Amino acid sequence: MKKAVLYINQFFGQIGGEDKADFEPEIRTEENGVSQALNAALKDIEVTHTIICGDNYMGSRQEEALAFVTGQLEKIDFDVVIAGPAFQAGRYGNACGIVCKTVQDKFGKPAITSMHEENPGVDLFRNDVIIMKGGKSAAAMKKDIAKMADYLNRKLAGETMGCADDEGYFGRGLRHQVWPQGEAPASKRVIDMLLKKLHGEPFVTELPIPKSDRVPIAAPVKDLSHAKVAIVTSGGVVPVDNPDRIQSASATRWGRYDINGMERLESGVFKTIHAGYDPAVCDANPNVCVPVDAMRDMEKKGKIGELHHYFYSTVGTGTTQAEATRMGNEIASKLKEEQVDAVLLVST
Amino acid sequence: MKLKIHNFKVEEIRFGQTDSFENGILTIDKEAALAVVRNVRNITEADLEIVNPGDMVRLCPVKEAIEPRSRTDGRSIFPGVTGDVDYCGAGEIHALKNCSVLVVGKHWGGFQDGLIDMGGEGAKYTYFSQLHNIVLVADSSETFEQREQQKKNTALRWAGMALAEHIGNIVKNLTSNDVEEFDFEPLTKRSPEVMKLPSVVLVLQFQSQMENPGYNDLLYGWDTNHMVPTFMSPTEILDGAVISGSFMPCSSKWATYDIQNAPIIKDLFAEHGKTINFLGVIASNLNVALEQKERSAIIQANMAEELGADSAIVAEEGYGNPDADFILCLRALEDKGIKTIGLTNECTGRDGASQPLVSLDEKADAIVSCGNVSELIELPAMPKVLGELESLGRDGLSGGWAGDEKLGPSVRPDGSIIMENNAMFCGDQVLGWSVKTMKEF
Amino acid sequence: MTKAIERQGFPVTQIANLTPIAKTVGANRIVQSFSIPYPMGDPKKTPEDEFAMRERIVEKALDALTQDIQDQTIYKVDMG
Repeated sequence: MKKAVLYINQFFGQIGGEDKADFEPEIRTEENGVSQALNAALKDIEVTHTIICGDNYMGSRQEEALAFVTGQLEKIDFDVVIAGPAFQAGRYGNACGIVCKTVQDKFGKPAITSMHEENPGVDLFRNDVIIMKGGKSAAAMKKDIAKMADYLNRKLAGETMGCADDEGYFGRGLRHQVWPQGEAPASKRVIDMLLKKLHGEPFVTELPIPKSDRVPIAAPVKDLSHAKVAIVTSGGVVPVDNPDRIQSASATRWGRYDINGMERLESGVFKTIHAGYDPAVCDANPNVCVPVDAMRDMEKKGKIGELHHYFYSTVGTGTTQAEATRMGNEIASKLKEEQVDAVLLVST
Repeated sequence: MKLKIHNFKVEEIRFGQTDSFENGILTIDKEAALAVVRNVRNITEADLEIVNPGDMVRLCPVKEAIEPRSRTDGRSIFPGVTGDVDYCGAGEIHALKNCSVLVVGKHWGGFQDGLIDMGGEGAKYTYFSQLHNIVLVADSSETFEQREQQKKNTALRWAGMALAEHIGNIVKNLTSNDVEEFDFEPLTKRSPEVMKLPSVVLVLQFQSQMENPGYNDLLYGWDTNHMVPTFMSPTEILDGAVISGSFMPCSSKWATYDIQNAPIIKDLFAEHGKTINFLGVIASNLNVALEQKERSAIIQANMAEELGADSAIVAEEGYGNPDADFILCLRALEDKGIKTIGLTNECTGRDGASQPLVSLDEKADAIVSCGNVSELIELPAMPKVLGELESLGRDGLSGGWAGDEKLGPSVRPDGSIIMENNAMFCGDQVLGWSVKTMKEF
Repeated sequence: MTKAIERQGFPVTQIANLTPIAKTVGANRIVQSFSIPYPMGDPKKTPEDEFAMRERIVEKALDALTQDIQDQTIYKVDMG
């Protein structure tokens, strides 16, 4: 029998309504309306404890609230945490999301919740937590509980779970290849989609275009003639023996290379290991990708204060955004230590 | 243009004293076939093996797949490549079906090479596990590229084509009851009924990333990097006008076999005259400078417009920077009011979280997606390997690696492997067979 | 990587050929390079002309670091 811990707010914990939203969290073993409904729907899983916390308490004293939750969970034996369902309640949705994420991060155990698509908790936590698509109000309680229970029954029994649409939760932005039962070959799917689009009939694209993610524009350099500028590249230029064994594709490693005293990068000393483009020209003259020669000239002319004595390099082809972000963060930390002012990033 | 493909379905392949094809059994004189291979420049060693669907055999590094074919009128099966340049797209050609010639390196692999499992869990990742295959395992004297990640694989690929034609000649003078006819009428001479149907043009973006010769897809023997979009009859594509190159990270690659059989073309023909008016193929490319990408997008859009296309399908042989061409072409067509369907694969990273294409546009609202080059695949050891399995990790195959802090090497001492889908030979089957798709989790 | 570095407060100019990609991914200061395999090179030019082009691109990229831009900006250079 697997063990579940339930997290609910003050209202569903029958403590009170809005007047009790500051309720300090407690853990109970007695059943309540939600745990009863869950236990009826769960198979080989039992809700053993319920944590009740006021929505405002979680909202305004989040650290303490989460410390309580994790502190309690450390003391008990559990396999999964179930939070909500939160329907359209914003603060409750936020609480369920942060509790589930915390449980996953801290204990490495599964957590699940349920919310209506308009709950602001969906956008905040959908990439981190399985949020089942739920109803608008408590009238949907039975249905939402049945969905969560069905998912957990199969998941904890070791079954392979389906994609977000099949299982009924909000997609977490993770795209993987699958072989759906009875799927038509791509050429037939193209013809099918083509005929629908031609005739103005609804169709579903297999690759929805995601929204873009932007960074606040960094303040410009005030005095370039005194600035230290570093070169960073994803073009894979490295010393010929590739001492850091940076991969030629799907890189997870980066290197930094000392160019102190070098007027330019010499062929035969540096080369590119990037597998995604024709290396001939770059190998013959690595400065076409890492422009040390031009930057030295800029130093001499007083255009910049200094070319930083390290350049940073990795390989861009096939490299995941997550790895690129991690590497970028690590490189940025080094640049901070080395008191670099600005960066030229050369990609291929 | 009218093309007739005489099909001879292979049920079994054997080696024997003389070449023959009877009742579905293809018998090959091994020594005679090897003599043809050894005659190809720079081939140093060669051997042939037969593998069948379900065999517990792993092939790596696989460089090419070709359908054995022959012609009766003296033209080679790949004019401009294996013989004099000549017409493609009309007349007759004989094809051995349900089989292919697979070209495998005896030792050396590269970024563009891949892996095939004929049986077991790994079989589903490529199309070739479903075919009876004559496997050429060979080595060459091309030492200049032996340790290079980018290989032209010229000797091995040309040996494969020579072998495919030699084997295809076995059915040259036979007759078949199974004849596929592709009748592509001139555009301005079509019946009013056909003209009333919504029209569609197929844009094929062939791999043409390398600037040195020897790596890119060839069109009548011409390097596709050095061309602008070109209007062609789809029968030319089915008839050997284009061969595969040696660059593309393997799961995105269109093998010569894929091009010879392009399901998307055959399915468009099946609908032609019924639900659509198929206007033909625009052969385009995937060059590496932005201006060249923009030029191809402009020319193919203008061409589609003047052909009067109501719609266009754009198929991309690649991922990464070629996604820019894919999106540029789709947007240029949509801007002209031509409804588009995109056909491609994605690169979402091992965790599935990366942006699926490097370039995006809301106008690309209808895409069929065939797979994820980044998907991690773990497979047990296979009792038999053709080629050299170590090449997967050692030689820089796009989906293999020598060592990784978390995952270890791609090729483990016990012969089991961990790799990215990227190295599955033509695994994403973008030209149409793919029963894979991409879903959000 | 550009975004990760810029998020830490560094002004970054990305030198890239496929400016639509750089823009989609979200770089703010973008200078167009000459090509993918040789961003600041051109085997068809003489070494002098090639170096002059490389300097023009680098200089534009450095200038971009000093510009107080309000939105993603793509700069082009005369490739000669």
